[in-house]
Amino acid sequence: MVTQGQRADGSDNSSKAAQVVLFQVAGRSFAIDLRQVEQIVEYREPTKTPRRPPYVEGVVEHRGRYLALVNLRRRLGVAAPGPAHPAVLLVTGAGPDPVVGIVVDQVFRVLSLPSEGVLSPPPRVFGIRAAFIRGVANTGGRPVVWLDVARLVTTTEPIALLA
Amino acid sequence: MLSRTLTKRLGRGRLEAPVAREQVLLFRVGDGQYGIGMRGLWEVLSPEGVTGLPTAGYQICTALAYRGRRLPLIRLGELFGVSAERVSPSARVLLVQGNGQPLGLLVDEVQEVVEVEPHRIAPMPAQATELSPSLFRGLVGHGGRVILLIDTDGLGSMTEVKGFAGN
Repeated sequence: MVTQGQRADGSDNSSKAAQVVLFQVAGRSFAIDLRQVEQIVEYREPTKTPRRPPYVEGVVEHRGRYLALVNLRRRLGVAAPGPAHPAVLLVTGAGPDPVVGIVVDQVFRVLSLPSEGVLSPPPRVFGIRAAFIRGVANTGGRPVVWLDVARLVTTTEPIALLA
Repeated sequence: MLSRTLTKRLGRGRLEAPVAREQVLLFRVGDGQYGIGMRGLWEVLSPEGVTGLPTAGYQICTALAYRGRRLPLIRLGELFGVSAERVSPSARVLLVQGNGQPLGLLVDEVQEVVEVEPHRIAPMPAQATELSPSLFRGLVGHGGRVILLIDTDGLGSMTEVKGFAGN
């Protein structure tokens, strides 16, 4: 078992680095594996679907296919409305659909996280249970939470992000 | 190069195969727009028959009195979680074939018939709804809108409808 303070992937190879996309939700910095991000697109008003999970906004068309739009603010239990022009990450490997649109407040940049800089999370970070987190890192003196987006969008366990 | 150019030119002169189109009846349930293929639609009825037989409130499947018969009626508003307290004057019952049997669908309003291109119908993302994917034939764009096409066979196969047959 990996304990707090050890590298999240448990490897000894200090030269490994993960490419992640750094983004913001409700003032907190998060990361997602770059290999999972197919594209970043502008937010468009979705078509509402019936009996959708509370954090799903509906569907949007993208190049002839339809994608479920997951609002990460809502999934993290943030009640306050987000920005007028959020960004949408088209993410693969996050549930049964080939691609899911994840609505985030703002996308910053692609970041290289050296494996030695990614730590296993404590039981909770910002109120998010460690089961939803792949690791925690620091960038520019700010904590970055590397999310397990697949787990986040395939379970309905309530989350309350701490402000 | 020349042959490719010729092929292109000849290609332009060729008659293009007509694009297959399908007529779809659009209707509203809550604030959502849905559609069903006209081929599966038998009749559009006013909803008087809905209250003609004793029914328990807020059930997804209730009874429809139709020409002396008692047919299953699916309240789509209940199924989709957007049910109004009372049936509005614009409400209609779509009489369709669902899994080999006549089936009524209570909708809030019948809107129009449009033509869509069947090859543009794409599947409903599984993560977009908690309902069974078998209830949806797919999604299709029309005039800048997205229409959710429902699958009447899927509706006719619902447990609630099968249970109705045993009543």
